[in-house]
Amino acid sequence: MRIDPSDWGFASELEDVGGAVAIVGIGDADYTKASGRTTQQIAAQATERALADAGLSAADIDGLMYIPFSGDQFDAAAFHGHFGTAHDVWVSEKGGGMVWAGSAPYEAALAIRSGRATCVLNTFSVAWATQRPQMVGGPGHVHAEDLYKQNLEVPFAWFPQPVYFANIARRHMYEFGTTPEQLGAIAVACRRHASLTPSAVMRHKPLSLEDYLRSPLIADPFRKEDCCLISDGGAAYIMTSLERARDLRQPVIAVLGVGVGNSRTGAYWSQQGAFTSTPQVFAAPGAFAMAGLNPADVDVLACYDPFTIVSLMQIEDMGFCRKGDGGPFVAGDRLHFDSGKLPYNTHGGMLSHAYVLGIAHVVEIVRQLRHDAAAQVADAAVAAYGGYTGPQASTLILGRH
Amino acid sequence: MHADFPLPDVQWEPTRQFWAAAARGTLMIPRCDACGRYVWYPETPCRHCGAERLTWTEMSGRGRLFSWSVVHHAWIPQFADRLPLVTALVALEEEPAVRLVTYIVDCPLDRLHCDMPVRAVFRPLRYSGVAGEVVAPLFVPADG
Repeated sequence: MRIDPSDWGFASELEDVGGAVAIVGIGDADYTKASGRTTQQIAAQATERALADAGLSAADIDGLMYIPFSGDQFDAAAFHGHFGTAHDVWVSEKGGGMVWAGSAPYEAALAIRSGRATCVLNTFSVAWATQRPQMVGGPGHVHAEDLYKQNLEVPFAWFPQPVYFANIARRHMYEFGTTPEQLGAIAVACRRHASLTPSAVMRHKPLSLEDYLRSPLIADPFRKEDCCLISDGGAAYIMTSLERARDLRQPVIAVLGVGVGNSRTGAYWSQQGAFTSTPQVFAAPGAFAMAGLNPADVDVLACYDPFTIVSLMQIEDMGFCRKGDGGPFVAGDRLHFDSGKLPYNTHGGMLSHAYVLGIAHVVEIVRQLRHDAAAQVADAAVAAYGGYTGPQASTLILGRH
Repeated sequence: MHADFPLPDVQWEPTRQFWAAAARGTLMIPRCDACGRYVWYPETPCRHCGAERLTWTEMSGRGRLFSWSVVHHAWIPQFADRLPLVTALVALEEEPAVRLVTYIVDCPLDRLHCDMPVRAVFRPLRYSGVAGEVVAPLFVPADG
């Protein structure tokens, strides 16, 4: 009996939380190369800025979200220790970056709806640039500790992540005719956006398509520019009910839809049934249905982008173009903030802004919807974030209310 | 990380029989007694039907090159001596949904292409700075 490769994942069943909460405060920590800071110091800075942005104080926060992940995240003890507070807070470990930067508003909405919290902070921070010398394979460290990978992948140098995704990109090229120039168009658009964004690590490093194509291959078909940065940094955002949001100082940016998709093969990309897809195929339809919108309604898109190919696959899998058409779709200027087409990762993304695992993407799309971004998309009213870890993907749809 | 990293720990139970088979020059993959499907990576219960018993089964060693990367950068120092290396996935003939992670060897880089027929050969893996070696299934072009 053969294995059915089409049965490779599924959507999480979510309650309808469309319009239940708004993002009312955003804060970036400083995005840098190795800085000597700790993850908690970074998260504290982002939180201070998010509170100031929202016009709230630490005492107003009665819900905290983070993910127990890398380094010490900003848990209740760290929060109270930093702000000198002691009040009760609802705590969820289903927050943070990556897929959870997109799905945290769902958990927050449930908590707010049921009265467990009124004002929820989500933070995520990394100090991987500082920690890198101690990490086997850099951000691959988490994977190197997995015993299946240690015994069936690492012995053949199928490690770390750039190698997985180089294999995926190769196969995508074979199946669909995707070209290096098309992957390069993604890197070039992101770098242009970073050049316009004061907080971006790569703001002073211009990149043309010619520069990209001249750059040496590091894991064929990837060049260095196909791969994300290694950074210290983080961000925070604050959520509350739509009703309460109207009394706060910022334009109301509502959560319109959330979706979550899952891969049955988890973090073992080598075995994923649909090798050139992401679980966005399971996440996005539910999010758009909840929002009552279609991909064509999205004015600005941000996706978790560890590699160019992950951007391209999510753009396909979220329904912005047909599967396999992503290469021609992203070529040229389509992803640029001023193209009038599909402005994408308008802060520069993880390739060119900072590798803070997606939390800065959500902050950026909120800023776009407030019409306050550095590379502002004219009249942006609907924005989407594609979160990704491999095992899971999330789609978050926000709207200017 | 165990002492021989990045070599495998051939005593680790879930993959012990894979490495023992490779040392004998055979390729073995576990198969579910109940539903007959291969279960890779090896883990009970069977992820297809939930049954508990898997039996390690000898494979032909034939397959197709599913994808690969020519790697020019050593993300860990132990890989430096092997660069450029061709790390790859091979879809096995008996069940293409089972993809082995492996090296492609004895193949000019310009001959590599997706779905190219390949066959297993058994050769020792060695890494600089690591004592010992482990025989592993590597793949060569089927017509080579």
